[in-house]
Amino acid sequence: MIRKYIGRSFKRGCIQLVRRPMYFLLMVIMPILCCWFLMDLIKDGTVQLVPVGIVDQDNSDMSRRISRNLNGFQQVNISHRYNNFAEARDAVQRGEVLGFFFIPDNLEELALGGRQPVVSFYVNYAYYAPGSMQYKGFKTISLLVNGGIVQTALRTVGLTNERIESALVPYQSHVHMIGNPFINYNYYLNSTFIPCFLSLFILLVTAFSLGIELKSGLSRQWLKTSGDSMFLALVGKLVPQTILFTAVGWFIQWMMFRCYDFPLNCNPWNMLIAMFLLVVANQSFAVLMFCFVPNFRYGTMLCTLLGMVSFSFTGFSLPQEAMYPWVEALGFTVPIKYYFLIMVDQALNGIDLYYSRVYYAALIGFTILPMLLSWRLKKECMNPIYVP
Amino acid sequence: MTEKAKHSRLFLWFIQVLRVCGRELLLVFRDSGVVIFFLVLNAAYPVLYALIYNPEVVRNERVVVVDDNRTALSRDFIRRMDATQEVAIAGYAANMQEAQEAMHTKACYGILHIPRDFAQCAGRGEQAHVSLYCDMSVMMRYKAMFTALSNVTQAMGNEKMAAVVEPVLNMSGSIVENRQVPVGNPAMGIASAVLLFILPLVLQQSMILGIAMLHGGSIERRRRNGGRDPMAVEASPGATIIGKMMCHQIIYTLPVIYVLHYVPLMFGFPQYGNLLHIICLAVPFIIVVSLMGQTLSAVVNERESVFLLFVFSSVVFVFLSGVSWPRYLMSRLWWLVGDCVPGTWMVNGYVLMQTNGATLYQVSHQYWMLWLQVPVMFILAYLVERYINRRRYRSWIAASEDNPNVLTRIELAKNGVG
Repeated sequence: MIRKYIGRSFKRGCIQLVRRPMYFLLMVIMPILCCWFLMDLIKDGTVQLVPVGIVDQDNSDMSRRISRNLNGFQQVNISHRYNNFAEARDAVQRGEVLGFFFIPDNLEELALGGRQPVVSFYVNYAYYAPGSMQYKGFKTISLLVNGGIVQTALRTVGLTNERIESALVPYQSHVHMIGNPFINYNYYLNSTFIPCFLSLFILLVTAFSLGIELKSGLSRQWLKTSGDSMFLALVGKLVPQTILFTAVGWFIQWMMFRCYDFPLNCNPWNMLIAMFLLVVANQSFAVLMFCFVPNFRYGTMLCTLLGMVSFSFTGFSLPQEAMYPWVEALGFTVPIKYYFLIMVDQALNGIDLYYSRVYYAALIGFTILPMLLSWRLKKECMNPIYVP
Repeated sequence: MTEKAKHSRLFLWFIQVLRVCGRELLLVFRDSGVVIFFLVLNAAYPVLYALIYNPEVVRNERVVVVDDNRTALSRDFIRRMDATQEVAIAGYAANMQEAQEAMHTKACYGILHIPRDFAQCAGRGEQAHVSLYCDMSVMMRYKAMFTALSNVTQAMGNEKMAAVVEPVLNMSGSIVENRQVPVGNPAMGIASAVLLFILPLVLQQSMILGIAMLHGGSIERRRRNGGRDPMAVEASPGATIIGKMMCHQIIYTLPVIYVLHYVPLMFGFPQYGNLLHIICLAVPFIIVVSLMGQTLSAVVNERESVFLLFVFSSVVFVFLSGVSWPRYLMSRLWWLVGDCVPGTWMVNGYVLMQTNGATLYQVSHQYWMLWLQVPVMFILAYLVERYINRRRYRSWIAASEDNPNVLTRIELAKNGVG
């Protein structure tokens, strides 16, 4: 009997998917297109050649050498030269350059006389990533200028190269970027943003497909096909979507780890299973929201809001420990957070599965939650009300 | 045609526009879903976003130390690291294995390793080395740890350099001083950088969602009433579009001022822009977005499908505007796609105004590009209204005359009945 109900419910779920082209668009085409968009957008990996300006008021041999060397850096590209501060400021305001390097009058004279001239760099941090890159470039060149002068002076008094090097940089720091040695922005951003994007699609589609039953008033018939069992009805409706979303998720992972060479330092199955769990957890999460708010508009709105905000409060850009505690806590209420943590532990850092056990368990936990509250949804399905 | 008749036609057309505008206003305020999009979303969403990012910078990132040197110098180094704003020393680990274990359990996000010969090298006048192992899951963590380390090594290095150089050259090691002046975003925080990009896009997306929902409502009424919308006003396509656009302009006056002026004020984000100039920039923006919403809403078949069709595009538009990946690095294709979105121009103009105090004249390129989009988007909206929407309504009316239930039956079939 149960097999009959499941079969009927599953068939109904499949028919609904096929008859609305929007589902295919939102479940297959758009996720893959968005994934390609993000990967293609950031395919260069690192922010470089930030357009900057230079104001050289000294026009000496030294100042020209500075600007030549600065232009040789990968981080910045001196696209404009300005005669004075006001011109450069105007250019920053117009967005022509994102910052500028200022060399004051008499730089060479003051430097050689030991009177400590100041070079300044104006960095526009309104554009965050280019701002950081500019800072790196400008800071390095300023240090090199200083080092260059001291080096020449020390050499003239007869110090060896090794002594000079240790005098100039007495403490050498080595920074090891675990898992992403080239600070590739694509690896960092897209390995989290793309699954988050997929989560948003899953939440939206699940919420819509549940809500449309209430709206059309067909929810009672939906329950009838599965022998008045809310669980079977949900299984029949959502399993076809699970299959499709998982396939798309795996395809996206294949694109990430195989085509674009994202770091994958674990057994691939760890990530494949995490993706499957992410799909199911998100579907269950949407069902849970509908159990809380069994209303098409508000249920969908809740899913949309959480799906959108999870890009921020899960800590992809501002790390969780820097957030307000209540925002950090909110982050743990959505499934994508756990996928993110699994991705970091497994794919990026490649540590033992043991350390990620709680995250896998949490994703499984999400699938159980709506079962506890499904009676609310069932009640609503028996007496569907739609308010436009 | 006589002059008088011409005048009266223009007058009638204008009356049509006003009637459409009035009806649209009525429909907006009768529909709580649309009110949520137009007003509540604009009021709450930027605040929520701002609260999430409000801490701005990473402070006291936990780092564990493996000190194989254990000398006064290594302890001084560690104390200085702990004293930075960015890093807090979470504790000592006996060896690298123990430190790794701490990193795996997320007790820390970085390991500072001081080798056995650290103080000895420094004492001998050789280079002393330190290593930092960073967790790379979040860039801001790496940036915080990196900044702290380079500041400490540089400060200690300068002191040492002065000690070596001074007796030889009779001057300190620092010959050319350098100074960073952060402009635009003096806090160098992420909230000030991200939020200003997002604010205009919230306006754009909320408006598109609201317009599409209104259109979805109208489509549903037509489906139930044999292809006719009892709430619609008979008007030419042009008058309909302009009337609706006027309505959206009126409604968005307050959200524009609130979102673009008061939200940055509430959270202390950079606000060097002149309010009048910002409003001037927002006028063509709101017009284009209204026209864009009317064009795009042709794909909506029911009220709720707006969530599916338009919500995700917010993320795409945010990226196209250049917030996390700068526009000058985008490929030609994405650059052009970004150019077609009104939000891109508005965002970049608005950010320059608010962060760098640009005047309207200085962002005139963005301003004129928005005005250029107005006629283009109007033509698109007109074509969609005349050749897609109205044709569709006529075919529905014709089909319903033959069989009054045909439209509902199609809808039922979509829901898996029959």
